[in-house]
Amino acid sequence: MAYKQTSQKFNAAINSVEIGTGNKTLALGGENVLPFYSFDGPILNPPRVGVEISDLGMNDKLAGMLNFYGDTQDVVELVKKASGMPGAEFICLVLDSADPDGENRSVEDCVAMVKSVEEAATLPLMVMGCGNTEKDTVLFEKISEALEGKNIVILSAKEENYKNVGASAGLAYGQKVGAESSVDINLAKQLNVLLTQLGVNNKNIIMNLGSATAGYGFEYVVSTMDRVKMAALGQNDTALQMPIVTPVSSETWSVKESLLEQEDMPEWGSRENRIIDMEVATAAACLAAGSNAVILRHPSTVEAISQMIKELI
Amino acid sequence: MGKFITIGERIHCISPVIREAMNTQNPEPILLRAKEQLDAGAVYLDVNIGPAESTGVELMKWAVRLLQENFDNVPLCLDTANKKAIEAGISVYNRSKGKPIVNSADAGDRIEYIDLAGANDAMCIALCSKAGVPADNDERMMYCQELLERGMEHGMEPEDLWFDPLFLVIKGMQDKQMDVLDAIRMISEMGLNSTGGLSNVSNGMPKEVRPIMDAAMMAMAMANGLTSAIINPCDKRLMETIKSCDVIKNNSLYADSYLQI
Repeated sequence: MAYKQTSQKFNAAINSVEIGTGNKTLALGGENVLPFYSFDGPILNPPRVGVEISDLGMNDKLAGMLNFYGDTQDVVELVKKASGMPGAEFICLVLDSADPDGENRSVEDCVAMVKSVEEAATLPLMVMGCGNTEKDTVLFEKISEALEGKNIVILSAKEENYKNVGASAGLAYGQKVGAESSVDINLAKQLNVLLTQLGVNNKNIIMNLGSATAGYGFEYVVSTMDRVKMAALGQNDTALQMPIVTPVSSETWSVKESLLEQEDMPEWGSRENRIIDMEVATAAACLAAGSNAVILRHPSTVEAISQMIKELI
Repeated sequence: MGKFITIGERIHCISPVIREAMNTQNPEPILLRAKEQLDAGAVYLDVNIGPAESTGVELMKWAVRLLQENFDNVPLCLDTANKKAIEAGISVYNRSKGKPIVNSADAGDRIEYIDLAGANDAMCIALCSKAGVPADNDERMMYCQELLERGMEHGMEPEDLWFDPLFLVIKGMQDKQMDVLDAIRMISEMGLNSTGGLSNVSNGMPKEVRPIMDAAMMAMAMANGLTSAIINPCDKRLMETIKSCDVIKNNSLYADSYLQI
């Protein structure tokens, strides 16, 4: 008997969310099939690849990084170069310098810096905080205000500060709001519900469900993303139809496989290769599980992952 | 599994306000009832115009247009003994939010309602009865089978037939309640959808008792596989029960605010 292909049809779709403005716009999500299931139906927008840049510059001067960026620590220069990185589609600026336990750069200085980065970048911009919720909340408000009309993505609103971030980034200044929920599926939905109840249009929300490095409890990430996509598509759950963005490098660069120098672990080989391997494996797994965008650091990873997406879609 | 589908029952000509509004084609009371039910979380709205022998065709068209134009093409359940009125309603019906439901066919005099649904690519509520209440589940399932075959003969997909096991009033038929639940389970195990007028179980009970009894029956029916019911969505306890059961059945993902969405 001849093989008859059946396709899985859903009567629901992931929201297509546009970020950036003018000639630097990018649409995330919009699909109504499971990740990479292009045999079930066309995929409106392929998954996107972003480059992470810390405002402290390169903290790790690896050969491949230096080769691409040159020996500059100027964040605007780094962003300009990253904008031309093969495979890169957006920039994610991390405001590490704002950390009160670190450089503790003032909010005003950070805002000025983000403005100049936005002007220099030829790709749409996401902005990630320093990890200190209190400082980030103020930062996000001021940055959203200063960049009104630029349609940037604020990463992220969390359970602790969703009211402030939702009200400023989402309501007052019309930016896209990232909703962050560190691999907690019920919180992921709850945050979307709370932001929507606050008045943020659900088409202006992007989910950061969180991640782990492949091999570090990653199964939980997969089951979370899987359940979210099945609820969004199979159960038409409008509180989960937001596209998913996943910061990958912030996880994978801090595991021992990426940290240990070759001198300390000669049998593991080149440290830079390991960093790339961990980043590629995790990013590919996130995309297969449902991420609509991944945030990466190493130019080789960016190229490999964007190549993988092109080959599969 | 998809979420439980509620069909709001409150646009019914048995209500004097609605009957008067239908007689005079006065939109306000009908729109108000529709809004209340949709705000409370109803998915489908039942539109019962009664037998409406002479005026049915125009009345049903008017009601379908009125509700769909005002409420973003809300899906409707067309409820009348006048077959021509159902056809007329379907002829002006917008399907963007879901197929129309014909309410209802049975295995007796009303079996042709299945043919009507099949001919119009509509869904159909199929009562597992012929004349009166089925004596036992053998009889119920025989009718279920008969109605299913009739639907398939007329080109319907099995999932477009929603089988009604016939909920029975507890005051008088208390010993039959578990039979109804067993029938729901059998229908569910056949992979079929089900629905029914659930509030019938609490008929004749004091007003303050009815929501409690309805909610208990709903939870037990959902545990047995009921996929839909014709209910009063403004009954908060009942709606909270449905939402909670949907979470327990993994039909909808839990979030702390699940009762508000």
